[in-house]
Amino acid sequence: MAIVRRLAPSLGLTLGGLVLGAAASLALSSGTLGAATTSTPRCTTAGLSVIQNLSGSTVISVTVGNIPAACGGAVLQAALNNGTTNATGSVTVAAGGGSATVVLGTAPARQLADEVDLVFVGP
Amino acid sequence: MSRAARLRWATVAIFAAAIGASLSHASTASISLASQNFTPYRTCTLAATPATTTSIVDTTVKQASATSNFGAATTNSVSSGASANQRIYVRFDLAACSPAIPSTATVRLATLRLYMTAVPAACRTLDLFRVTATWTESAITWNTQPFGTTINNPASGSRSDSLTVGTPAGCVNLVAGYVVGADVTTDVAAFVAGSASNFGWMIRDDTEGSATVRTATFSAKELASIGQLPELVVTYVTVP
Repeated sequence: MAIVRRLAPSLGLTLGGLVLGAAASLALSSGTLGAATTSTPRCTTAGLSVIQNLSGSTVISVTVGNIPAACGGAVLQAALNNGTTNATGSVTVAAGGGSATVVLGTAPARQLADEVDLVFVGP
Repeated sequence: MSRAARLRWATVAIFAAAIGASLSHASTASISLASQNFTPYRTCTLAATPATTTSIVDTTVKQASATSNFGAATTNSVSSGASANQRIYVRFDLAACSPAIPSTATVRLATLRLYMTAVPAACRTLDLFRVTATWTESAITWNTQPFGTTINNPASGSRSDSLTVGTPAGCVNLVAGYVVGADVTTDVAAFVAGSASNFGWMIRDDTEGSATVRTATFSAKELASIGQLPELVVTYVTVP
């Protein structure tokens, strides 16, 4: 049994290898595997213009401009935070890019400083 | 188990380990990472509200009232005229952004937005200059302004950007509303990185001293009109 005990690490390595093999068959949507990382592709590095559209004193939508054609078909998600309220929305960018208006689910009040996070998912 | 049997098992186990490692490496090497595009941006929009905020300051200096301060006025103007030139000074404190813009951020676009209420009858070019010395909203006058009293100074060539306003066709900003075209990306990037101090911008007519007075008027923060607030919009990324 001493030999078996000595071989146990090897068997463990074998099983570990099989596990890794199984994991490798998964459909990976992340750019990270184990300790390795890779850059996630982006559809643009352009300077996007962002304009908040008001209704009275609240922000009802956000218009994003200068969107290049490479982002056409992507889903543009926007989240506005005015320090006290969050509002989100999304829209599919038209083919060819241009501009896209994201209607927010709620209408936060206009404040001195508003943060808008934007993410293009895809295309 | 006999010694021979143990050795056979050992051989099988070592073989299996080798195959397992081989499979593992082969499988890892064959993984194809096909992530879809994921493109994040962050924006800080500073808007001059409430009217009492000190994070955003704006005023006009007037050559014809060289010792007067107009920091409390509800409008700002850029004007060109013989001894009647007017300039706007405006500053946005980026520290008001929440979350703070990291000093390592890459500024993709920074746009100054002013709401024009009176459009000149002639197409005029307005120049934006980064101010390099301190000033205060409640004290600055034509005579004490950082750029001095010499008209057409600083030279147009040192401007950060320019835009055209006026009713004639061909002008970019023809009607009342937020003007477009004031790109201050380079300046804001320098403020964020700490390579330049943020004293805001001065806006003047590209050709001061016009024989016919030409004036573009803008809403000041003191007007407290929520839809006409002076704004600075900064779009940036934290990972280029």
